[in-house]
Amino acid sequence: MLLPELFALLSSDLFLLLSLLTCLLEERFPKAIPYIYQVAALMGFGHLLVSKMFLTVFDEDLRFWYNFFYLAVGLANVVAVNLYLAVSKKTWMLAKVWSASVTFPTVFISIFFVYNYGYLQGATFPLLTVDLILILSVAILGIAVAVLLSPKLLRRR
Amino acid sequence: MRNLKIIKNVKLKKSSKFLILLLTSILVGTANAAIFYSLTMQPQVTVSTPVIKFSEAPDHPGGTVNDAWCCLTAKSYPNATLTYEKAVYLNNTDSENSHSFRLRHVGITPANGYSVVGNWTSIKFLVYNSSSYVFSLNYTVSLTDWILEPSGGVTGYYSIPASTGWWIRLETLSPATATEGKVCNIQIAVDVE
Repeated sequence: MLLPELFALLSSDLFLLLSLLTCLLEERFPKAIPYIYQVAALMGFGHLLVSKMFLTVFDEDLRFWYNFFYLAVGLANVVAVNLYLAVSKKTWMLAKVWSASVTFPTVFISIFFVYNYGYLQGATFPLLTVDLILILSVAILGIAVAVLLSPKLLRRR
Repeated sequence: MRNLKIIKNVKLKKSSKFLILLLTSILVGTANAAIFYSLTMQPQVTVSTPVIKFSEAPDHPGGTVNDAWCCLTAKSYPNATLTYEKAVYLNNTDSENSHSFRLRHVGITPANGYSVVGNWTSIKFLVYNSSSYVFSLNYTVSLTDWILEPSGGVTGYYSIPASTGWWIRLETLSPATATEGKVCNIQIAVDVE
């Protein structure tokens, strides 16, 4: 059974990842950003600690929502950094690489865990969202297969 | 203030910064994982219905019968065996799997050594399935002592098939010299595997 604290753990790791990546790309970001993300990751530690201390006091709904909110903030930061690279810094190539290697996997993994948690809790999801995820998965799989078979596709303008 | 300025003016190399951040990341990540692991190890106690449970049978002598325990208030006649053919049912409620169970003596009053024990000759708990006798836990009296059979008061484990009901036959017997109104309390556990 999944615990809602998994979202806090995931988000905290996202902040740590952002911290390291923004440190590696420090020329493109304000200097304080990696340290701010470290503090944000420490807040995740606080989330987990509070959950552990008040496990018998907080009900599962409350624990889910504050952990989910923290995960949403983490994902919003990943997307925001992506947009910052694309729009503000106009580094399109870097933004594309970031999108493929950071934004998409993290968002996808997060959606997977949230849906899995919801499924185990007996929540019913609208059929449309499941359809959309399936269509998106098929589209990405198609693109990946196409690129794998013909790498020249990437170089075409 | 001057110290702050000195610290501010220290130029760290990118690799040094990255190394520091990496180390703190490992620290924070490990601490988070440890707390999460301890959360997953929190014990849970889920209320559920027992797999093998009691239910009232046609010859129920009286008392309370619940799913997980039962209290039988039986009688015993001097110089005559009183039989409760189907005193209580033991049902395996699992529709897919068989389960093993045994009877285990927990306690009896009056205890050994008291002359009042002589008011009973035997009290037998015999387990039957739909066709025949399976096993039993018997209390017989020798002077002022209870003799348990099997010795030690613990029967072997017997497998009850899925969705099957067995029953306990209760037999009591007192000697001709027994005094009316004497009460004996027996506590037996049903251990389920």
